[in-house]
Amino acid sequence: MKEFRLNYELVKEFIIEFIREETYSNGFKKCVVGLSGGVDSAVVAYLSAEALGKENVKAIIMPYKDSDPASKEDALLVVKKLGIPNELIDITEIVDAYFKGNVANVRKGNFLARIRMSILFDKAKEFKALVMGTSNKSELILGYSTWYGDMAASLYPIGDLYKTEVFEFARFLNVPERIIKKKPSADLWPGQTDESELGASYKALDSVLKLYIDQRRTKEEILSLGYKKELVENVLNRIKKTQFKRTLPPVAKFSPRTVGLDFLYPHDFKV
Amino acid sequence: MKIKFALAQINPVLGDIEKNRKKHLEFIEKAMEENANVIVFPELSLTGYRLKDLAMEVALPPQSDFFNPILKKSKMIDVAMGFVERGNDNNVYNSAMYIENGKIKSVYRKIYPPTHGMFEELRFMGRGKKVTTFKTRYGNFSILICRDLFHPSLLFLAYAQNAEVVLGMSNMPLRGVEGKKPAIEETVEKAVDTYTSFFSQFIVFVNRAGFEDGMGFYGGSFIGTPMGKKLGFAGILKEKLTFATVDTEEIYRKRQLFPLSREEDLNIIKENLDAILEANNERV
Repeated sequence: MKEFRLNYELVKEFIIEFIREETYSNGFKKCVVGLSGGVDSAVVAYLSAEALGKENVKAIIMPYKDSDPASKEDALLVVKKLGIPNELIDITEIVDAYFKGNVANVRKGNFLARIRMSILFDKAKEFKALVMGTSNKSELILGYSTWYGDMAASLYPIGDLYKTEVFEFARFLNVPERIIKKKPSADLWPGQTDESELGASYKALDSVLKLYIDQRRTKEEILSLGYKKELVENVLNRIKKTQFKRTLPPVAKFSPRTVGLDFLYPHDFKV
Repeated sequence: MKIKFALAQINPVLGDIEKNRKKHLEFIEKAMEENANVIVFPELSLTGYRLKDLAMEVALPPQSDFFNPILKKSKMIDVAMGFVERGNDNNVYNSAMYIENGKIKSVYRKIYPPTHGMFEELRFMGRGKKVTTFKTRYGNFSILICRDLFHPSLLFLAYAQNAEVVLGMSNMPLRGVEGKKPAIEETVEKAVDTYTSFFSQFIVFVNRAGFEDGMGFYGGSFIGTPMGKKLGFAGILKEKLTFATVDTEEIYRKRQLFPLSREEDLNIIKENLDAILEANNERV
């Protein structure tokens, strides 16, 4: 028996109930999931299929000409394992119609993410479905994702699981080993990997995040536990610099009730 | 006295009091078919939990005609339910009422509405001040709401008024997924075990199910008894109606076996509290 840090049986039951209720109570039966070939979207597809029924989960696979061919193959492997309907949409023409010639990786990467978002929301409209988000807690808190790109979604089923927990959870759910084992990457340009871009391993990043976020330890306390200054500052700077992505834009307030400040209704208000 | 309780672990629709009243009536019907004496709903069962600005929109005075269909049913079965109370003082409260034989027997206002992290209750609602015990046809009952249950002082106040049954009506969200059970469930069970054991009371813990804005209420309703038994467990996360019969003779037996209540001296507590309050006031 493998040693897991969380009770994934319970996590699974909880997230499945979450997906069901948040989908049905918002008036939907179906969802679309952008399958990247990575572990996050694979886990979300597995959970969604179990929660809503496999026929109600549509996988959208959106390769670009520079994407790693393995990404598409791995996405198709998830589709095959789950037996869910899918659509393959090559986004090369759309992207290349806008960008002529060379452009910085991050600009192009953000654009790819936002084109994929546009397609997912269009497909959601076509199928009367929600867009299932695939962001995990590490990514959300480090702000390592494209604002209004891959961050845009109706629900975040795995938004409270750190990346290292997503790997464990994937193993618990029997996601194919080759998807779990490969290096995490957004695959927005050739050779990109999360850990080289973030400057540390997820294991290291998550350890610091847990101390800072969940246990509310101070920077000094974390340093005194033996974590390297460079790592801790990397994490804390990323959190600070990306806070804007996790909030609504500020509204210039002058009326009695202003969106975001004192017009305070719950998300799930359906009266 | 034997009392058959129905534990209505429901999942109310946020902000929709019409739909929720219908659900109350359906659960009451089902409980009547099983000849239950008392049906207990969770905190804010009529309104849902995460109301925020909706609180003032769904608030009702206890005398509102809106409750009439439920009052009518209470000829055969007592009903404890949660709602947002519009008080005579024009404030709103997170309240619960006990209905017996067509009449409102008691209205309790939550004393400790949590306001930190995901909880924002005091931002939108006021707080109550009084733990009371009321005499029902089945004995002395008290109501406490959710966070109140984590303040042993309030359980003590119910005990000091000889509450035989405490209705713990809750909306507790799940947190803590490392262990076999959700960490919050462990905490509640520990608390209930302790209170029922030392105060020789029954605690009817009814927690809601369902999700609101990502918060998942864990359910896990049950009755804790003075002899340490756990009855009518409703399981976690799902809407459920369970039943359990308790015998208040168990309190008598427990209090003879372990006569803590006979030793209790409220005057000592009062004198000590007065001294503590005086000292604290001086310090400020």
